[in-house]
This record gives sequence, structure tokens and C-alpha cells, in this order.
Amino acid sequence: MKLHVFGNEYLKEDSFAREVAEYVDAEIVSCRSPDELLDAEGPVRILDVVKDAESVRLITPERVKAQGMLSLHDFDLGFFLKLMKEMGMEKEIKIIGIPQRGNPQSIAKEVEACLKSLD
Amino acid sequence: MARTITLDHITKIEGHAKLRLKVDRGKVKQCHLTATEGARYFEGIVKGRRYNEAHEITSRICGICSCAHVIAAIQAVEDALGHAPTKQTKQLRLLLTLGERIRSHATHLYFLSLPDYLGYESALAMAKNHRPELQRALNLMRCGNGIIATLGARDLHPVSATVGGWLRLPKEGDMQKLRLSLDSVKKDAIATCDLFNSLKYPEFESKGKYFSLIHPKDYPFLEGEFGFGKERVKKSDYRSFLTEYHEPDSTANFVVKSDKRYFVGALARINNNRKLLSVDAQKMLRQSGISLPSRNPYHNTIAQAVELVHCVDQALEICSTLKIKPEEVEKIAPRAGTGVGMIEVPRGTLWHEYTLDAQGIITRTNIITPTAQNLLNIQEDIRQFVPRVLKKPRAQIILDVEKLIRSYDPCFSCSAHFLEVDWK
Repeated sequence: MKLHVFGNEYLKEDSFAREVAEYVDAEIVSCRSPDELLDAEGPVRILDVVKDAESVRLITPERVKAQGMLSLHDFDLGFFLKLMKEMGMEKEIKIIGIPQRGNPQSIAKEVEACLKSLD
Repeated sequence: MARTITLDHITKIEGHAKLRLKVDRGKVKQCHLTATEGARYFEGIVKGRRYNEAHEITSRICGICSCAHVIAAIQAVEDALGHAPTKQTKQLRLLLTLGERIRSHATHLYFLSLPDYLGYESALAMAKNHRPELQRALNLMRCGNGIIATLGARDLHPVSATVGGWLRLPKEGDMQKLRLSLDSVKKDAIATCDLFNSLKYPEFESKGKYFSLIHPKDYPFLEGEFGFGKERVKKSDYRSFLTEYHEPDSTANFVVKSDKRYFVGALARINNNRKLLSVDAQKMLRQSGISLPSRNPYHNTIAQAVELVHCVDQALEICSTLKIKPEEVEKIAPRAGTGVGMIEVPRGTLWHEYTLDAQGIITRTNIITPTAQNLLNIQEDIRQFVPRVLKKPRAQIILDVEKLIRSYDPCFSCSAHFLEVDWK
């Protein structure tokens, strides 16, 4: 199972998914830009941090907040997922949202459990 | 009756800007465009750092134009050190910036500009009915991203380009992959031109002159002289003809040339260098039907689409002809001096200037972005444009004015400088 991991490695509050991914038993695809999802085949699994999340949660793209695009800087994962949906790009996408901090090894176990539940 | 129109947040541009417009009996009494970005302090941050750190720091001025700032800073520092880069280094720098331009133009054209012309609030709103167009944009953006990531080792804030050469060179296989990717988006670039050539643009003529780099042989991106018509200016003399100033309630830098407004960007480049465009880009330009030189800022959108074709062609040529040779980063001895980097970036001419001491420490910096040069022209264009649309409903006036501003593809984040204070 491929797991697409997002987050800016230079921002502590945004890079935690990359740290957790190192302990997850899955094929990790490190993504730098949301348009990399266009290449993904089959069901798409995404790992990213979620602001104010207290535990690991499965999220559908519909629940991700995305504003209209006001500037080029708004071309983020949230916008892109919304755009793919509006464009009718039918991919089965599930996001494993994790807190911005915590024990990476124990969170990785929960991520693996989430992935198994999606099999 | 006096009417005041205030746009507290102009959307679909880079950064934050505000417009205050006061109209009385059909005449514009006040027109004030201000940047409301926080101060950026980059010129101060660079001071005291080593000469080979400038490009890494100033890259952070903008996520959209990070490659442009990297190359402008490197060229300025090399100018100060009296260093001439190798042909391969220059070609790879050009390729990197072409990738960035493909990404930037495609994103601006399809996601910020097109919704205006097709009558949608945003790109999301038009996605259902215009999937092929947005798919084209994504293809072009991915191709641009691929070039940047391959050469720069990252798709934002590239780290491979440095003073004296490249820390990591692409492999022959990398160039082959880029060639395939560019080949596959050529049709998308042409279709983009067809689409933007078919749109209806308002009639308007700006009173500002158009300035860009001008080069005798190549469509200029990284080399040339700054000019308009037959007027030419040496980059080392830029301080004697460009004047920077600040408005009291704006964090943006305004720039005038010999006390007069002017504009930079894709339209200025095409006005000055259209005969140097690739064959297909020239063909698309002819099909646009616009008469050149044009001072209609709305035509900047067509110019960006034409440049997309040119950039794909030029990048293809580099990827097809450049045989990568192993080259170490050249060692350059620090020395005291001042250098200027003057390059064309997606939104116009970008200037970086550094003064180094004998140890290569930066003692003074000046950066002038395209939007800083365009700001006064945008403001005065609005003043000139508004009386002709005053009879329209308020919402339509706001849309027309926003379209005018957006046609310049401004980046207020990059034009925001710290304010200089007279403490006397």
C-alpha cells in the first residue's frame, strides 16, 4: 500500500507527518506538491498533519476546508483535492490526519491500523 | 455626488493590497493603491552575511519566483566579484528560470485570470464545466515543476544553483525526461494561446512606457540591457535613473524612472523583443491580432500565453542540445565591490544589487521587484480607466478594476519593503 506523505520539512508544526512516516510499514511516497497525486494509481492514501487534531483520524476530502483560490500561494493540498473533485477526477482518496505533535512511533502504529482498516 | 469605492482586499493577486477610489461628478479625486503586506526586511537580513548566502536567503522573498531571486542574487554577486560563469552554467540557469516561468504563467493564466473572462468567481467554480482547460494548466504546471525540481533539487527554493556554478548537475537521463515532458505539453501551450487569443479584452491604453531587457540575438531573460525603443540603460547605472519611494500608508516600494511611471512584464518584453520569439510563439502572437507595440495592460495576458509557447520551445532546445559536462563549482576569491543582477522574471524586470567588503561580507543590498516598478502605473491606469466605467453598477466597476490590476499579475508580497524612517 502506497502512502503519500505531505508537509513542509522546514516547519516544525507541518513536518510531523514525515517524521511519523519513517516508522510506518508502507510504501512511502514523499510528496512536495499536491499535483503529484495526479500520477497516483488506485486508491490514494494521504498522511498529513491536521491543525488542532488530538488523535489519528480518517478524513474524506470533502471535510477538508478549502477556500477559493485567491493567490498562487493558495495552491495547497486542500485546494487541490477540491479541484480534483470538481474536475470529476474520480480517485478514491482517504486522508489519515495526525496531530501536529506526539510520539512518532506510537502514532505510526495507529496509522498502520488505519491503513489496514482501508484494505 | 461623491462616491467612494474601497477594495479592502483585492483578490486573485499575490499578497495583500487595498485600493481607495474617490469619484466626484465623474472625476477621480483620489486613487490610492497600497500594499498591506507586513514589512519583509530581506535587504536588512542579508546585510552581514557572506556573499554565497544571498541567493539562499533572498529566494524566500517569494515561493512563486524563488528561482528568479536565486539567479538574480547569484548574478549580482558574481558581477561584484568580477566572475563570468561558464556557458553550461548559464544555460542551466536559463532552463531553471524557464521552468519557473512555465509554472507561473500557467497558474496565473488559468487559475487567476481565466475565471474573470469566463464569468466565474474562481477556478473552483469553473472546474466542472472547464475540465480540459484546467487539465492543461495542471500539465503545464507539472512540467514547470519538473524542470525546477530536476535542476534545483527541489521544486521550491532551489538549492543546486550557487555562486560559481552548480552544486549538483542534472544527468543525461534527466535531460531526456525533461525533453519528453516538454514535448508532451507543447500542444497545451499552443492551446493556451488559442484560448487566450479568443477572449475579448477591454480597450484601454496605458500612458506608461514599457521597459524590459533588450538583447540583440536572444529573447532576453537573463541577459541584455534595460530599455524601451532605442533607449538603453546600463545596469550599473540603474540608481541614476530609477528612483524608489514609499507612500505613507503602504509597505510597498514604488519606483519611477526619471520621475515617470512605466511598466514591466510579459507585454513589455514582447513589445521590445517580439522578433526574437520562437517561430511558433511568433505565429501565435500574429494570430492574437493585437497590434504591437501595445500599451493595453489587458494584453499582458496574451503576452504571457505567447511566452508559454516560447518558454517550452526554448527549454526544449536546451534539453535537446546541451550535453552536460562534469563541472566543479568555480572557486572565487572574495573581493570588495558592488554588483547588479538584472533579469526578466515572470512579472517583469527584477533587480538585485550587493556591495561586498574585501572578505566577501555583504554590506549593502537593494532589491527592486517587478511589482514595485508597476505599482504607480497600475494606480494611474485605474485613475485613467475608472471614468469610462462609472455608469456601470458598483459590482461591475469593482470587477473591471480588479481585472485591470490582475492583468499585471502583481505580487504584493514581493514588493513590500520595510519603510525608511527619517528620525530627524
